[in-house]
Amino acid sequence: MLNGWLKKLVGKSDSKNVAKKRLQFALIYDKLEVSDEVLIKLHQDIVDVISRYFEIDKETLKLDIRKSEGKSALVVNTPILSAKRPF
Amino acid sequence: MAGGSLKRCALEGKIIVITSGKGGVGKTTATASIGAALALEGKQVAVVDMDIGLRNLDVVMGLENRIVFNIVDAVKGKCKIKQAAIKDRRIENLYLIPASQSDNKDILNPEAMVRFCKELRKEFDYVLLDCPAGIERGFENSVAPADEAVVICTPEISSVRDADRVIGLLYARSITPKLIVNRIVPEMVEKGDMLSHEDVVEVLSIELLGLVEMDSQVIISTNTGVPLVLQKESSAGQAFRRIAMRLNGQKNLPIEIPQSSKSFWKRVGQKIGIGK
Repeated sequence: MLNGWLKKLVGKSDSKNVAKKRLQFALIYDKLEVSDEVLIKLHQDIVDVISRYFEIDKETLKLDIRKSEGKSALVVNTPILSAKRPF
Repeated sequence: MAGGSLKRCALEGKIIVITSGKGGVGKTTATASIGAALALEGKQVAVVDMDIGLRNLDVVMGLENRIVFNIVDAVKGKCKIKQAAIKDRRIENLYLIPASQSDNKDILNPEAMVRFCKELRKEFDYVLLDCPAGIERGFENSVAPADEAVVICTPEISSVRDADRVIGLLYARSITPKLIVNRIVPEMVEKGDMLSHEDVVEVLSIELLGLVEMDSQVIISTNTGVPLVLQKESSAGQAFRRIAMRLNGQKNLPIEIPQSSKSFWKRVGQKIGIGK
């Protein structure tokens, strides 16, 4: 009650700051969104590149995007069967 | 088309799309007002309703009873541009090309719009395209022929987010849009309960074209179909007139920031909790 009255006296509220922060985060998240089509292409390209250097099991390669607050990480996980040696 | 023929312009006219992504933020009012204001500056202006199937620019301008042909007829060559362009009775040099109400957006395509606007350029100094909400076909049709774009948003999260998306889509088409922040409530901005125009510009980082205050005259103007820019007491109408002047080359015209009109004592009263 007193708090609310004090806030009124100062005349400042912070709902717009809440809005601004939420907006900025929403825009970051929106821009990180990747379509399935792009992910499938990326998956194929990564398999191709890694296959040049390593023998891998193409079926078990896993690719996903992990999101945490404000950050986003591309995680690729694949068992290596053997390294390819240059001749 | 009542009264005389369209004047030919020496130079080719400009096609400007007015868009927002989100619906209900004031695109149609802005299009009607900026179009009217440009005409008052002495320019030949056509405002085009691109919202096929959900036309409204005609009622906002008070011309709904005079529609014979529409944009679909004109694009398909079923009538001449002059037949589809309805001359405003109040404002000289202002014409409306209405949408059709019985088709859907797929009836037009971007290539046909580019061709149609090429013809419009020869007749008008400015062609304002009132883009429908959304980013689908209607948006594509409106953006394809545009030389310039005006993005309109209100100081709300949902509207700014959609504006950001639309700005990205415009950049992808090599158009650098300008921003109008509409429906600003200065009292709420002062209290910290509404995003200020600085916040919006910071988030969207594009050039500001103008600021428009929340104004009940907009509703009255829509009720009666009398152009907002002809109402001297309308702050929104006057803001749109300055926006039109800026679009028309007066780059140095300062952007006025809406101020709260409340008296000092009323504000003090509000702060200590007396009165509303």
